[in-house]
Amino acid sequence: MVEITLKGITKRFGNFLALDNINLKINDREFMALLGPSGSGKSTLLYTIAGIYRPTRGRIYFDDRDVTDIPPKDRNVGLVFQNWALYPHMTVFENIAFPLELRKVPRDEIERKVREVAKMLHIENLLHRYPWQLSGGQQQRVAIARALVKEPDVLLLDEPLSNLDTLLRLEVRAELKRLQKELGITAVYVTHDQAEALAMADRIAVIKEGKILQVGTPNEVYYKPKYKFVGWFLGNPPMNFVEAEVEGDYLRVYSSRIPVPSHYREIIEKLGIKEVILGFRPHDAQIVKGVGDGLLGEVYSFEPLGREQIVTISLDGVFIKVFAPEEESFTFGEKVTVEIREDRIILFDKEKEVALEYLYKD
Amino acid sequence: MKDIEIRSERFQWIVILALLLASLPLILGYTLLILSSFSKEMVTNLDLTSFHFTLENWLYLLQGKLAITGGIRVDIWRIVFNTLLVALGVALVVTLVSTMAGYSLSRIDFKGRKHMMILLLILHAFPGVALIVGVYLLYLLTVPQGQGLDVLRLYSFFYVILARAALEIPMSVWLMKGFFDTVPWEFEWSGIIDGASRIEVWWKIMLPLVKPGILAVALFAFLAGWQDIIYVRTFLIDQTLATFIEANIEAEYSHMPLIAAAGTLYLLPTIVFFIVAQEILLQSYSGGIKG
Repeated sequence: MVEITLKGITKRFGNFLALDNINLKINDREFMALLGPSGSGKSTLLYTIAGIYRPTRGRIYFDDRDVTDIPPKDRNVGLVFQNWALYPHMTVFENIAFPLELRKVPRDEIERKVREVAKMLHIENLLHRYPWQLSGGQQQRVAIARALVKEPDVLLLDEPLSNLDTLLRLEVRAELKRLQKELGITAVYVTHDQAEALAMADRIAVIKEGKILQVGTPNEVYYKPKYKFVGWFLGNPPMNFVEAEVEGDYLRVYSSRIPVPSHYREIIEKLGIKEVILGFRPHDAQIVKGVGDGLLGEVYSFEPLGREQIVTISLDGVFIKVFAPEEESFTFGEKVTVEIREDRIILFDKEKEVALEYLYKD
Repeated sequence: MKDIEIRSERFQWIVILALLLASLPLILGYTLLILSSFSKEMVTNLDLTSFHFTLENWLYLLQGKLAITGGIRVDIWRIVFNTLLVALGVALVVTLVSTMAGYSLSRIDFKGRKHMMILLLILHAFPGVALIVGVYLLYLLTVPQGQGLDVLRLYSFFYVILARAALEIPMSVWLMKGFFDTVPWEFEWSGIIDGASRIEVWWKIMLPLVKPGILAVALFAFLAGWQDIIYVRTFLIDQTLATFIEANIEAEYSHMPLIAAAGTLYLLPTIVFFIVAQEILLQSYSGGIKG
């Protein structure tokens, strides 16, 4: 029940720059995902919000309160760790009760609160067990219960699902999203799994090498990536990228030619740019057999996935992946044309790897 | 017991045989000592002709009758108590210091931390005997003057416990540091976020997680205190088992099988602890030491 504002957060570990001038506003009751590859600084940012790390520069605000120099315990945050960090020498009950005991909450109130949160997370029958007697999913619930029992203003989650098996992860994902909305708690969720971020978050901040590349709703970062990296990192399979050259009103892509998408005509004209990277999502194109209008190539391989199939197409040696309906059949080496949905095309600057519209705005 | 199963079973017995041969002198020595304590004469050869079973040695020893013929008596229980006092004192001091110092060396980034760790290793390399002159000088300088014997006796206990503990502390701190190193940071962070102070984290979260290490360190320190002779002999006014045996081993009146019984009593905690705590000690050697 708090709004988090990060202003110019920089964190150095010795000579290593872990966070580079991070500015981010996380709204009240918002589910914000920090998404990035390992080593990108997303966990460092989370621990800085929690107060475990002190930023080298910059301020952190919870609403209007400057918490930069306030110790973790006075920030009223709950943190769920990747390895859950359940205390092995305490029972589930004692684990959940631990934060309350430290706050000197009266015994009967601890009892009531622990039972309440345990009931909410469906672990009320496990209270007398020890962590090692629980399955991964149960341990994870206990960790969440321990973070929630002190009724924190902010819930911080550091890859909480990565130690669970795939099926369980999908189940907990939906539950966690629901829980966050029911409690109306501000949540920051660190993950390297783009599917998790897309599925759960209200907004996603994509982080790379200590910098935030883009912040936006899942739809925005998915369909309007600001950087080539964002397009590549989100989506499975990732966005396709091919080099293209502007030739008047056309884009030359190896041996093929397609018209410049209408939403880019003005921008290209103003920038006077020649070399671009054309990006499109595998599901924003369709495969037409034979030679037609679009990108010409041949089928390199195809992978049926049940409902659909991924077809890998070679465009003069460069591979792209396109989804095709399950009933279509392909043969290796077959000549095909890829027709891209024009309005979904993103053009990036070849050197800066920024989408042209952002280059234009700056 | 888990292992990588690549070792040939055929050669295993050779290894066991070699180990047995290597430890034969030890096993033999202890066996003869224990046998002698139950015998009328010392058992000094392997054919056991001199072994005549009796419980007399143990009975006399526990009654403090030193010589079978004469009327020399000692308060053996007092001596055992003294030994225990020194051993427990050393164990307490060593455990207290090493759990705190080990934690800070493992977890707190303070100035001179690296140097301190190296210094501890160097200190560990010094044998206690080499230090005894200096330690004796300190004893002379700090001993309370003009007090009664009781104060002196008490002070000598205090001093010998501290001095002996100081010898054990470097290695114990390293051991404890190794144990703390194996605990993931998340446990500590979690406690901090839940509202614990650093001391509370240490006491309520970290110490329970390194219990095997604490036990090992305490055991080693206890045995060191129990067995010590040089420091006890130099500083302590009262007798412990070690100095008692030393004082009587060459006395004219002494009955050797009785001394053998005293020796067995002296060895007892070592044997008991190593049997009971084998697992823990192994863990401390293999898991505990990490730089």
